[in-house]
Amino acid sequence: MTAVITGVGVVSAFGDGARALFDGLSTGRSGIRRIRNFDASGFPTHVAGEVPIARVDAAFLGSLIDNDALASRLGEMDALRDRKIAWGLIAAHEAWRDANCGDAERDASLVLALGLEQALLEDFGGIYAKGHIAWERGAQTGVRYRSPVDLTSRAVHELLGMRGPTIVNASACAAGALAVAHAASLIERGAADIVVCGAADSMVNPLGLGGMCRLGAPSPRDELDACRPFDRRRDGLVIGEGAAVFVVEHEDRARARGERPYARVVGWGSTQDGYRATAPRPDGAAARRAMEKAIARADRAGVPASAIGYINAHGTGTPLNDPAECKAIHGALGEHANRVAVSSIKGAVGHLMAASGAIEIAASLIAFERDVLPGTANHQERDPECDVDVIGEAPRHARVDALMSSSFGFGGQNASVVLGRPA
Amino acid sequence: MSSLLRASMIAGAWRTSLGASVSDVVARVRHGDRAAVADSRGYACTTIAPISVEPARSRNSRFLRRMGLFGLEAATEALSASGVGSGSHIGLFSGVGGLRAHWDDMIAAFADQREDGERMWERGLQGVHPYWMLRHLSNNVHALASAELDLRGEGATFGGGNGGAQAMASAIRALNAGAIDAALVVAYDSLLEPETLVELGARNWPAQGLVPGEAAAAIVLVRVDDKSSHVRVDTSSPVANALARVSVRDAAGHDALGRCSAVVGDGDRDAYVAVAHSLGQLGAATTLVQAIALAEMRVPVSIGLHSAAPELASAVRVEVPS
Repeated sequence: MTAVITGVGVVSAFGDGARALFDGLSTGRSGIRRIRNFDASGFPTHVAGEVPIARVDAAFLGSLIDNDALASRLGEMDALRDRKIAWGLIAAHEAWRDANCGDAERDASLVLALGLEQALLEDFGGIYAKGHIAWERGAQTGVRYRSPVDLTSRAVHELLGMRGPTIVNASACAAGALAVAHAASLIERGAADIVVCGAADSMVNPLGLGGMCRLGAPSPRDELDACRPFDRRRDGLVIGEGAAVFVVEHEDRARARGERPYARVVGWGSTQDGYRATAPRPDGAAARRAMEKAIARADRAGVPASAIGYINAHGTGTPLNDPAECKAIHGALGEHANRVAVSSIKGAVGHLMAASGAIEIAASLIAFERDVLPGTANHQERDPECDVDVIGEAPRHARVDALMSSSFGFGGQNASVVLGRPA
Repeated sequence: MSSLLRASMIAGAWRTSLGASVSDVVARVRHGDRAAVADSRGYACTTIAPISVEPARSRNSRFLRRMGLFGLEAATEALSASGVGSGSHIGLFSGVGGLRAHWDDMIAAFADQREDGERMWERGLQGVHPYWMLRHLSNNVHALASAELDLRGEGATFGGGNGGAQAMASAIRALNAGAIDAALVVAYDSLLEPETLVELGARNWPAQGLVPGEAAAAIVLVRVDDKSSHVRVDTSSPVANALARVSVRDAAGHDALGRCSAVVGDGDRDAYVAVAHSLGQLGAATTLVQAIALAEMRVPVSIGLHSAAPELASAVRVEVPS
């Protein structure tokens, strides 16, 4: 039972809409820019893959999702300051319409990958009181401390009028890919015949950026080309935000209702590193096993490893991730690894954290839609430690029959998904 | 009901407000004991059900706070009791409730902040502990359990009020698909943190009888009637030693609780047991606590229901072998 992707919705540094992402990556542009939605002037870095919408208000969101009442209610809750809620709703709305879903699809399961709850730092100015936080003072003034982790999924459930189960994947940076894998597994394992899945996240806020800066993850260079995946000079990531949502359904179901799939989800695999909370396994062994699982499953679905012509890599641009990932690719594909093109879109859209795997799967669809493989923004100097065929800054025109997208989360959660060209 | 996937639960461990021993806690639940205590800190929730002890000292306190440490303790204990060992055939599935931000770590960062958010970095954010973000991560118990227990098979972390049920459902599906041979499922949640207490009060839930609680729980699952497992256990057969067969279903939307209980339940013939009366509301940990408690109660078939939030529910069915 093969799952196929029949609808796509995206919000990214290129703007809202899957077409904006496809056009941006197909032409080799970057969406990284100076942060505008808050004053980041004092922070160590000021660049991000920020969605080019400085402020989301209820009227604006309502017009994009055709639901003023829901947008107003979220606005009244002050929930729209957590930007991922808006991005998730906009992407889900687009995917649902793109797949021509209606009443017959409302029993679909919903699998969303979501990032951290982020209370908004400025809220705390009013409730800090000489060495402690006066929580009760906040209750009296209407301060909102946090957005519940599943608020986005509940809002999407309501927006689409869904009746099926809701699942929130919180597997850090592997969550988006795992959400798509989860959807495919529900279909393969007979638990669903249609699933709305994907991810939304935003760390482009004071706590998100500040916390990541203190952790030392972002590149110390405050430049638009700060993230340089697989480049010899790579020194860190650039954070991003956005969402990608898909409608995934049983191939027979899609065919019966006349939908043209973007791709077949033919393989997936997940593993844990079992190594450290703060670093990936240097030998890439667990990441390799996630890839091998996905490849083996694809093979059973009639898509052999030799059909894989492109890998959309996790490719964070950090010193540790990229060489480990290249070892995993070589280990999983053997000799064939030398014939596979590899790229990372994180230099162009940033690291979307929980949503990174989802937007990278969306970006990978360009390979089937346009016979274009996305480039690797800011990749200029080859690194012998990253000895794979990295696509440089310019996209590459090529026709591939299958591709793989990988995501690796903090703490060693690994996920790989293999997509096949639709018949 | 025949379409429900099942798995054999061969071990369970927990940390609850009535203690850490499964048999002792269940005896107290059956006796009608309640963990609820008065809370005089001034929140609208004046009755709460906290875990009254602290976690054991751990090197992982760099990354985990109190509830995370309890989660790791329960996971370690359940896996050890199961005898399934470790490695790439063992899956790991986690459920967490609200992703707490540990604001008390940020007191210093808040001291000089202004309400307009001007110069936030210089006014204190630059002094935040480098690991603050890691402690905040949703999957840090998952990551440390994987590393400490050498679990390298399929897995995922689920969030929200029914995160534990989702983790359990995914583990059962993965087992039945043959992707793994055993699964450690761990869930933890606390409804006792200040921001949660304030929000519960704002919604008037305490006045409606809700007693917020907290718990961490872990179970180990294997396939029912497994003939192909790579798992080698210390005991002669994991299936023969099964505590119970478990299945779980979740639902969202209108009448979610009724719909999922209708799938797993069988009307008047099943026993329905309320552990919340004794332990308080346990959020994402509820389903696992129910599974362990119901297996220990040795009722032939029993059902645990959980309404995680409005229009979000789960139900676990526990069948004890005769």
